[in-house]
Amino acid sequence: MLTVPIAITLLVGYVVRESDTSLKAAVVDETEVAGDFRPGAELVQALEQSGSLAAEEMPLAEARKSLDNGDVEGVAVLRGSVAVTGPPQKMKLELTLDGTNPQDSGAITTSVNRGLTQVVVKELGQALGLADVSPEDLVEVDVSFVHGGEEFDFVDYEAPALIAFFAFFFVFLLTAVSFLRERAGGTLERLMAAPINRTEVVLGYMLGFGLFALLQSLAILLAAVFILRIHYEGNLLLVFLLAGITTVGSVNLGIFLSTFARNELQVIQFVPIVLVPQGLLSGVIWSVDSLPGWLQVISRCLPLTYAIDALRNTMIKGQGLADSGVLLNALALVGFAAFFILLASRTVRQQVE
Amino acid sequence: MTTEIAIETTGLTKRFGSIEVLCDITLRVPTGQTYGLLGPNGSGKTTLIRLVAGLLRPTAGRLTVLGETMPSRRILADIGYMPQTAALYQELTVGENVSFFSRIYGVSSPGRVEEVLELVGLTERADSPVYALSGGMRQRTSMACALVHSPKLLLLDEPTVGVDPPLRVAFWQYFHRLNQEGVTILVSSHVMDEAERCDRLVLLRDGLILAEGSAAELREQAGTSTLEEAFLRHAEAKAELA
Repeated sequence: MLTVPIAITLLVGYVVRESDTSLKAAVVDETEVAGDFRPGAELVQALEQSGSLAAEEMPLAEARKSLDNGDVEGVAVLRGSVAVTGPPQKMKLELTLDGTNPQDSGAITTSVNRGLTQVVVKELGQALGLADVSPEDLVEVDVSFVHGGEEFDFVDYEAPALIAFFAFFFVFLLTAVSFLRERAGGTLERLMAAPINRTEVVLGYMLGFGLFALLQSLAILLAAVFILRIHYEGNLLLVFLLAGITTVGSVNLGIFLSTFARNELQVIQFVPIVLVPQGLLSGVIWSVDSLPGWLQVISRCLPLTYAIDALRNTMIKGQGLADSGVLLNALALVGFAAFFILLASRTVRQQVE
Repeated sequence: MTTEIAIETTGLTKRFGSIEVLCDITLRVPTGQTYGLLGPNGSGKTTLIRLVAGLLRPTAGRLTVLGETMPSRRILADIGYMPQTAALYQELTVGENVSFFSRIYGVSSPGRVEEVLELVGLTERADSPVYALSGGMRQRTSMACALVHSPKLLLLDEPTVGVDPPLRVAFWQYFHRLNQEGVTILVSSHVMDEAERCDRLVLLRDGLILAEGSAAELREQAGTSTLEEAFLRHAEAKAELA
């Protein structure tokens, strides 16, 4: 009664305060500049000084690899030749953003543009002896995205998480309450007096609620796609498969936990325990990587973390079942489901004896 | 294979933790009879019925139902169980509840659900959800669910609680008909006048058998004119022995 609200308050506090949302960009300098002026190094310095973006200069191949494995969220490649004397020629800055999280993309773009202003206007302009020059005069910025795109926004980032969260949440709650009513109302006992075994009972629940959860996921997806007009890539069938596996887990968790409740009021008290930590720690709003280490450990023990990661990889990055980003998460979900099934089937019989 | 004994227990004991609810129960229920379990609340009637229904495992002793040692899932198909509380799906209709249990038991004959509903007099209310029914109608629905698969053994835990007198009479007339068809009925009650209608009775108190026999035998043994007095007399006798 007291421990749960306190724990949740503390959890929120830690997550908000100690999550490290700093972004990192790689800067690649492929310009040919006569003289001492090094645009790449200057840009790195400008970005670091601004404090909003960490930056490191590195060669192109390394930069690309860092973007692929998520070490950096953006790569800025400076190209072109700048002569200190003579007519000014335009430099080119190719900014490649990861794009999975549109807010990150926006933050990087803003920081880079600001850094560019400082570098170009102050440093290069001065070096060339030009006054009152603006970045567009000297640099052409070209932005591209690995995943998503310019039209992606925060809703596109959240939609997969919401599908996963609701698939888990409603199904868990409904199952826990329904199963409690079966027990308290005596119908479970009637079922146990009939020649069916506990596996069939649990399976029946899984299929029934699984179907419901899929319909619900479909409804959310259709609403998001056609009304909110979210952008998504990837295979819808895969989305349903992942939602389905998540549901199997949550149904059985619901059955298992309902044994600890004697009435609906007690079942409701499970909601903050099961759902709020997952809502905070599984990447719905704050990405798991940005959490302090000890909270990340907890995140990795939560099924929703894997569900959300898998769905984001499917819907935003367009990955398929064969890709590790989806396959490994799917296997983790299957593992959770198997574990919860074990717990549930042990408790179904025990409830009656 | 027809056996003459539907239920046989030898030294049947059931403990929940440290509480002993049934102690050393030995009895035999003949096939095709209505056998009554009589006793106050807490005497172990429901526990005994649940043991026979295969819901509980004996702590000690032996229990054989319809020739099979319990617990046995196979024999459950031949047993009909009507629990003390109505135990129905509240949001489903009468017809849906009966139909659901008929399918659980694998009843294949078409029209059986309608047949059973007519038996309990609920044909007009077949489409009413259970939460909208009175207590007596819920009991009738519960009875229908216990009967739908034509069981050989019917276990009824206080079936006439909350049921008005005319319906109670109808129930007992129906039990008599079932007996004639060879169905064995084990019924628990703490209403003494119903006990008179059973073929044989066992008197339970605090998990022990006080006396066993037909209503007439029990009255004779105790030297009383009513069964209620016989029960009290037997209880006293047991207390004196202890």
